[in-house]
Amino acid sequence: MEEELIQIKNTAVSLILDILDRKTLEEVKLQFLGRSGKLTLVIKEIAKLPKEDRPEVGRLANEVKKAIEDTIANQELRIRQLTDQESGERKEKIDTSVPGIKPDIGHLHPMTQVLMDVVDVFKTIGFQVADGPEIETDYYNFEVLNIPKDHPSRDTQQTLFLDTRKSKVVPGEVILRTQTSAMQGRIMEKIKPPVRAIVPGKNFRYEQVDASHGFEFWQVEGFLVDTSVRLTDLFGTIDYVLRKLMGEGIKLKFATTNFPFVEPGVDTYIQCTVCNGRGCSFCKQSGWSEIMPAGMIHPNVLKAVGYDSQKVTGFAFAIGLSRLVTLRYQMDDLRLLTNPDMRILEQF
Amino acid sequence: MLAPLSWLKEYVDITLSPKELGDRLTEVGLGTEKITKADGDVIFEFEITPNRPDLLSILGIAREIAAVERKKIRQLNLPNLTKPKKESLPIKLNPDYKLFQRWTGISIANISIKPSPQWMQDRLTKIGLRPINNVIDITNYVMFELGIPLHAFDYDQIIGHEMTVEKAIGGEQFTSVDEKSYHLPKNAIIIKDKERIIDLAGIKGGLNSGITDNTKYVFLHVTIDDPILIRKASIALSLRSDASAIYERGVDKGGTLKTLARAAQLVIELAGGNIASKIYDLKNKAFEPWKLKLRTERMNNILGIEIPEKRVLSILESLNLNPSIITLSSFPRKRESRFVPVKTGIKSGVTDSVIECTVPTYRNDLKIEEDLIEEVARIYGYNNFPKTIPIGQLSTKKIPYFKDFKIEEIAKNILQASGLSEIYTYSLIGEKDLTEQRWKTEDFLRVDNPVSLEFEYLRPTLKINLLKGFSQNKPNFKDINLFELGKVYLGNNLNEAKESYFLSGISNTKNFFEVKGILERLFDELGIKEDPTKFIEILDEGVFFEINYSEIIKQVDLNKKYIPLPKYPPIIEDLALIIEEKIKTGDIINEIKQQSRFVTDVSLLDTFRDSRTFHIIYQNKEGNLTTEEVGKIREKIIKFLKEKFNAKVKE
Repeated sequence: MEEELIQIKNTAVSLILDILDRKTLEEVKLQFLGRSGKLTLVIKEIAKLPKEDRPEVGRLANEVKKAIEDTIANQELRIRQLTDQESGERKEKIDTSVPGIKPDIGHLHPMTQVLMDVVDVFKTIGFQVADGPEIETDYYNFEVLNIPKDHPSRDTQQTLFLDTRKSKVVPGEVILRTQTSAMQGRIMEKIKPPVRAIVPGKNFRYEQVDASHGFEFWQVEGFLVDTSVRLTDLFGTIDYVLRKLMGEGIKLKFATTNFPFVEPGVDTYIQCTVCNGRGCSFCKQSGWSEIMPAGMIHPNVLKAVGYDSQKVTGFAFAIGLSRLVTLRYQMDDLRLLTNPDMRILEQF
Repeated sequence: MLAPLSWLKEYVDITLSPKELGDRLTEVGLGTEKITKADGDVIFEFEITPNRPDLLSILGIAREIAAVERKKIRQLNLPNLTKPKKESLPIKLNPDYKLFQRWTGISIANISIKPSPQWMQDRLTKIGLRPINNVIDITNYVMFELGIPLHAFDYDQIIGHEMTVEKAIGGEQFTSVDEKSYHLPKNAIIIKDKERIIDLAGIKGGLNSGITDNTKYVFLHVTIDDPILIRKASIALSLRSDASAIYERGVDKGGTLKTLARAAQLVIELAGGNIASKIYDLKNKAFEPWKLKLRTERMNNILGIEIPEKRVLSILESLNLNPSIITLSSFPRKRESRFVPVKTGIKSGVTDSVIECTVPTYRNDLKIEEDLIEEVARIYGYNNFPKTIPIGQLSTKKIPYFKDFKIEEIAKNILQASGLSEIYTYSLIGEKDLTEQRWKTEDFLRVDNPVSLEFEYLRPTLKINLLKGFSQNKPNFKDINLFELGKVYLGNNLNEAKESYFLSGISNTKNFFEVKGILERLFDELGIKEDPTKFIEILDEGVFFEINYSEIIKQVDLNKKYIPLPKYPPIIEDLALIIEEKIKTGDIINEIKQQSRFVTDVSLLDTFRDSRTFHIIYQNKEGNLTTEEVGKIREKIIKFLKEKFNAKVKE
């Protein structure tokens, strides 16, 4: 009987090791271990043996049973692994060139994206961000900036006046600010130099709307006052900032201009990125776009805010943010920036 | 301002090509807008800044060209006006120096009116003027040549041969030479003869005293009008003339005699005639050139470079500023390494000097030292300057009006990550936008002079523009998720006006809880402890929210502190309760949390018919919680909820 048991074990193990599918394995399992399986039948016979032989044969029978069970379990695992590999091969047959499924995220407005960059660049040279009112007084918008009433330079900044009815405000004294420079006086009169500030914000002018002008537009005002600020510092700052924002390869040129609150006055032109300098409607055919008017702060302004112009000097500039955005993305019309069309927004 | 190259060349030799010249003039401040070729000539179109009345003339532009070309101006050969033996056409002038600071004039007899010669007609046409007759053309020609306005009267039409300058009372009727009728504004400067208003000074001449084909005798005059009164009158009348543009900017007070001589010379040459009065020149001041000092050390400090003194002097010379060195410090100056040495040119002396300039009267924009510094810098050429980065102290103190831009970045990034796209819209909206919301326009801030009625009111909400943006996208998109962070303007009059940033959005793909969740996440990230429910509104279009951003960010707390990980495991269990529907889940959660400090988190796991299952986490940071301890807390929760909400544990 012992030999019979060992025989069954050997047959079963060699048989099992050749099986490569679950169904056959299940059949073989029944063939040996099932209710009328070969091993089961032999085990039933043990009861018929003499009492003294039964423990020895019983132990052997258990060993055989265990060996067959273990072999089946191992083989089952092997078959499973093999099937997994096969299905892996099958996976490669999926057409992976089909575009993926993108998560639904929105888009930040191009103005925000550029403004974030502007703020970052100025942070690297120690400028802090400030924010101020759009409903502004004539004093901060003009007078403190050396633009007295009835000065012809007011013509270049046609003003939107606010309705003063129901208030004690003198007509003409409160307006929608025409320039973020209005914040120069507000900030400087409250702090002693050194000061480095940028002020992003919206401005308003009575202006007919076209591709490069709007009655609402964004600027980033900036100014720096310290004991010895020089014109070369202004040129260097403009150059650094615009190259950081618009790329190393841009073409810039400076020109003299007049704003009553700076002396010397500087205008900065960038070669038009819409037409690469060839001339288009956006740059009025000139190939260049005015991007960053600036200058050394006029002694009258320093005086008006309580600074001693013999002891401190400073520069100020205003970046035409709306224009910077359109130039960066080669948008040929400023009005695209206030258009909520998602076909535009989704490009950014 | 239009300027033909051929006319400019009469005053100065030009070697640069038109394109190079335009670029160089733009660099020095004479913005060249356009260069066109026409009839064998080149026409420049310049943009003149408000500080430079002198550039509203061919001579003025030629002077700038002379400075950049380093050439000399050819001076006009002008006759000396001399008083004739017999004053046949005398005139009585009654001045008011507050209105005319200077009044220069002369009479010319026996002229003949005819068309002006072709060369003059051509030049006038090239600068955009229409030739009329020789005398009128001469006044225009001389104004554009020399930059000072002048006017010619028909001597016979000046009743009483007397002229008085005064301010208009307001409402007077006046007909200009071009036969247009005006009601004069108060304080306009007018000239009257014995009986009538004959001139709207500085703006337009009168029809009643103008030159006609029959004019035989003329009175020519050059006046220096008050710039503010001219500006106010011309704005009030919406009447800007070439003359008023010059007066507003401040005309050359020293140039009246020269202008008169040039005009008289041309009249006699082109219309015949002879001088028939003395030369009138009424003034209460001398109007001489003035002195202005330039310290080279100060200039170097402001410019950041040392331009060789020789070059400084030659620049000032080229601008006719007559520089002379008045102080020479004999001490060797401390050399500061901060200056960027100029590579080209001669090394400057080791002394600091003071240069005194004598400013010609046509440059009344030069008033202070910094103005001279700009003159040197601009002719030296801004594009020849080196570039430096500012040195100096960095302040760590927050500046006034400081804005923590990072907060805005976080907020916008969260909304973007949540699927919303950002828009920027106009602050100005129309009356219709307000009435459509059933709002009364008188409750909102208004612009007195809107560019159009669509943009008359300051928006009190971002909702209007978001909804417009929503409908605009409707034809192209099924799913619309938009937000804006922008200012709104509150209060109904300027004394109560308040600007606030609002943060608003709309979504037609997200339900109430998804929008609420976005705002909860936003508030969590910014450390704001606020329930966003009240900011959300369900509209037909979708779920809308509007937050007073300026107000809510006062709560922002971005400080973070590490909390050590718990050493003891939490016990987690789910509690299913049968509670009346009207009881709010938020209230139940809050009450459960209140029952023990060991309840560290409670959330709603599931809702099924009348039962709600809550997920409760118990944890003691100091030790293990036993089953009995948790059991006690659970009993307390159940007992409390039963008393308060009549809640039952689901079997």
